[in-house]
Amino acid sequence: MDRNRLHNQVASMRRSLFDQLEELQDDTNPNFVQEVVTLFYNDSTRLIQNIEQALNSRPIDFCKLDDYMHQFKGSSSSIGAKKVTNECTAFREYCNAENAEGCIRSFQQVKQEHAILKRKLEVYLQTVRQASQTA
Amino acid sequence: MELMKSSDNIIQDRTQQQHKQEPEMQAQEGQQEQGHHFHVLAVDDSVIDRKLLEKLLKVSSYQVTCVDSGDKALEYLGLLNNLDSDSTASSSSSSSSSSNSSSCSQSSQREGLKVNLIMTDFCMPGMSGYDLLKRLKGSSWKDVPVVVMSSENVPSRISIRCLEGGAEEFMLKPLQLSDLEKIEAYLLKSLHLSCTNIDKDDDDNNADHNSDNNNDKVVNNDSNIDKGNNSTSMNNNFSKRKALSSEDTESRRPKIKGLAVAI
Repeated sequence: MDRNRLHNQVASMRRSLFDQLEELQDDTNPNFVQEVVTLFYNDSTRLIQNIEQALNSRPIDFCKLDDYMHQFKGSSSSIGAKKVTNECTAFREYCNAENAEGCIRSFQQVKQEHAILKRKLEVYLQTVRQASQTA
Repeated sequence: MELMKSSDNIIQDRTQQQHKQEPEMQAQEGQQEQGHHFHVLAVDDSVIDRKLLEKLLKVSSYQVTCVDSGDKALEYLGLLNNLDSDSTASSSSSSSSSSNSSSCSQSSQREGLKVNLIMTDFCMPGMSGYDLLKRLKGSSWKDVPVVVMSSENVPSRISIRCLEGGAEEFMLKPLQLSDLEKIEAYLLKSLHLSCTNIDKDDDDNNADHNSDNNNDKVVNNDSNIDKGNNSTSMNNNFSKRKALSSEDTESRRPKIKGLAVAI
């Protein structure tokens, strides 16, 4: 009973979070969504740290910043994280204009949206773990 | 929830899933008839995009090899063996590309390696997707269809440049299962070109399937044009996927070989 409830919970979370990923998960790789989420989680954390460092260095290397943000935006877009992706777009505009202050402000937005997303992903992964433990 | 699309979209996705099953079954039938799986080489520097692409292709019953750079792709295809300056060459000059094709013809077909389609990201550090495309088209792998992907709206001059450089298609990431239907057409075409011992009947079957698929695609492209460039419209996944200006579509149309006849 508990197991079914958790499994249903996982399935419905997956459906609401990941339209496309849900379609791709199948019996041959039941952990696919979990793997992608974990990948994104680690990858995006790393990129955020890199961007943070780049923003703190003087003079700011806008080229490098743009490169990091391009990667970050790409990953976010690939898993369907719209709000994060939109904030990245805004950031890159400031970056192209070499507007340091704009970048710093915009990056706060990026981090905020990313933190919200991370929280949701954490809850998802936690639920997945719980569900597998009751199996 | 930020990741949740509208419920309309979810319904659209389910409908598209039904649409995709038909060509998927045709692809699987094609593979069973030929007795092998299509092999796709995927080139992308993003680990997440590689994972997603690999999954997309495997779900569609293709064999997949993923590499993370243009250099690794060339290495895999056996195109780096006889070159002195391999990884640093960003764009091959015409003189070096001619020597490429002559010296690599033996090594490129190493151990009966078969690749039916190459999908590459456009924006990569080091060798870009365009550079890789040019290298491939100047090699003995030039007949393998190449699809270039990009994570963002690139200016039409860039996508046109890729198409003129020999790419079959320029696709917007993230790819969806519905995008794989287009790829199937290129794979069937490459099979037709490369296999000399295909039964005549099989050819006809594939041609029929192709024309059916092409008709579907023509309809889809028309709806793309109608919906235009509205990336905020969530009513139709196709418009979000393609996000082409009509200028793009106009210049792209003649290049998409499979569709040229239908249009």
